[in-house]
Amino acid sequence: MKREHRLSGRRPGEVARVNEAVRKLDKAMELSGVPERDKQPFLEWVIKELWDKFKEERMEKRLRIENEIRQLGIRFPNGTVNEDYSVSFSLPSEKISNVTLEGVEEIGLLFTQEENGQYLLMGRPSKAGDYILRLRYDTSVGEPTSELIIPVAFNPNPRDLWRDIPTDRNIPYYKEDSELDYIKVESGPDGLPKKDVVAASRRGRSHAQEGKARDDHYGICHCKDSDWYILAVADGAGSAKYSRKGSEVACGAVVEHCRNRLLDNVAFESAISEYASDRENKEKRTEVTRHIIEIIYKGAMKAHEAVKNVAQANGEVKLKDFATTLMFAICKRYDFGWFIASFWVGDGAMCIFDEKNKTVKLLGTPDEGEYSGQTRFLTMPEIFRDPEAVSKRLRMAIVPDFTALFLMTDGVSDPMFETEKNLNDYHKWEEFYEKLIAGFPEDEIGGVVLSDDNEESKEQLLRWLDFWSPGNHDDRTIAILY
Amino acid sequence: MRRLPVYLLIDTSGSMRGEPIESVKVGLETMVSSLRQDPFALESVNISIITFDRDVKQVLPLTPLDELQLPQITTPDSGPTHTGEALRLLCERIDEEVKRSAPDHKGDWMPLLFLMTDGKPSDSKLYREMIPEIKKRRFAGIIACAAGMNAKTEPLKELTDEVYSLDTVDSTSFKKFFKWVSDSIGVGNRSLGATDDLLLPPPPPEVNVII
Repeated sequence: MKREHRLSGRRPGEVARVNEAVRKLDKAMELSGVPERDKQPFLEWVIKELWDKFKEERMEKRLRIENEIRQLGIRFPNGTVNEDYSVSFSLPSEKISNVTLEGVEEIGLLFTQEENGQYLLMGRPSKAGDYILRLRYDTSVGEPTSELIIPVAFNPNPRDLWRDIPTDRNIPYYKEDSELDYIKVESGPDGLPKKDVVAASRRGRSHAQEGKARDDHYGICHCKDSDWYILAVADGAGSAKYSRKGSEVACGAVVEHCRNRLLDNVAFESAISEYASDRENKEKRTEVTRHIIEIIYKGAMKAHEAVKNVAQANGEVKLKDFATTLMFAICKRYDFGWFIASFWVGDGAMCIFDEKNKTVKLLGTPDEGEYSGQTRFLTMPEIFRDPEAVSKRLRMAIVPDFTALFLMTDGVSDPMFETEKNLNDYHKWEEFYEKLIAGFPEDEIGGVVLSDDNEESKEQLLRWLDFWSPGNHDDRTIAILY
Repeated sequence: MRRLPVYLLIDTSGSMRGEPIESVKVGLETMVSSLRQDPFALESVNISIITFDRDVKQVLPLTPLDELQLPQITTPDSGPTHTGEALRLLCERIDEEVKRSAPDHKGDWMPLLFLMTDGKPSDSKLYREMIPEIKKRRFAGIIACAAGMNAKTEPLKELTDEVYSLDTVDSTSFKKFFKWVSDSIGVGNRSLGATDDLLLPPPPPEVNVII
């Protein structure tokens, strides 16, 4: 009666089939000699045995697939917040079902199955952090869902992390976080425009991040009476305690010294004219060199001593604490062209750039060490010990004209040129000049309009110095005669 | 781009098994996530991890911080501590991985080394031989940490002046230690240049200075 009842819901044909199957099973047991009383326990035993085997095989299959998927070594590369992220991978999709990737929604990513067993994780991660994603899938009905843990990190955009903490005004030798100047030189009696000087210096992000002072400095001057231009740029050493003062004193001292020496210096002026009209004459060249030593070399010495005096006045600190690089140039226009003399110790770049003739003349060689950040400083006594080594730091040039004379600290030259080789490559300077003029539209940083008497160019230049370059966040200073 | 290479040498000898090594892992995670909040580090720090027990392995080749995913770190049941062998591998990896300046490419920043051990070098002869080799590589800073009561500070003092100790090898100590390491890397980033001495931030109370 019970069976009747259970089968009552089925269609008559189906009931007949089931009855037929039961009869066959009963017959098979009889043929195998299973006595009537054993039939029930025997059936139970068979089913249990097979069920266990079935479960075991199903589990083995799961472990096999899990192992296979683990062996694929699926790894997700890290990404950056708010930047497109996409990673695809393949899975043996014919062996698994219900594939999900848990934890993606909260990051703002989308996980989809493509064709041919390809899976895609993509989107713009909305939150920074370290995440554990769980790839879950089923191997067989009845088996627990399998899981593979895949770690991934989404980094913040470094640009969002910079802070701009003003420098404490009470620190010794405080200086402003940025500085800018423009020297507008009016046309002479001939009515022709004269070159102007623009300079700007801004504290690097790495200093702003910690509320530390700017270490760079510049000094620029146009001597009204003698018509000489003087430009100086100095980079105080990153970790030297008072290098900000070192760079300031060095620039100030050298501008002051040159200005005094160039005032009414009839002997120097005539030596230059003599030499310019007879450039193969060694004696005339030596005579100019003699003056350059007086003006330029002594200027560097004066700067060294001036820094030393400040250090000594501040009893407890060493000269090393004021470590700074220094580069400076004096220039003047003559009928025959421009006369330029310079001195350079440390890194950065100083060059005469001539767009018309497509030439670039680097006024020295940057001092660089085995590793980044290693250089030489004006404050190292050994700089002045070897006269031959000193003379290599001096340069003299006569050029018909030029587009711009650039002096810059490594905060600008490193991101723009990277290597010494590039510093000697005209095309790199052309690229640099284009960037200076055009700015960085993608970062909403405008260019610098280097037209005659454009006093606004100083603000443009200061803004331009804030350009973005990964890993380059040093103080940036540039002086341009154009 | 110029990188700041940071090498972490971690003792994985048998005595580190269990809570100590688990604490180190937590500490490393803390260090990495803390460094990721520092924009300068995010753009320049590259980390390598070398573990040493009987075997010495570079479990993480020099990898940019933003791409980094911490590797599996395992410990054997027992066995010697091959610190000297670890220094040898370190020199080899530095020569291979760290770029020196050349006219056509910029060098990396001077590398930093952090060494953590809970014992003493079993291969002390090789250890001593490697010390001058390490000095030749010109690190911006070498910071050694003796973790736990059984760690010997004397051999570490031969390697560097910057030796610190942890009284306990639990997760609090390691967390604090690696947080301090990440702060030191931040400082290391910025103090490269004129001075030869690395300016370290003051260590937390859990980290003792060995004089």
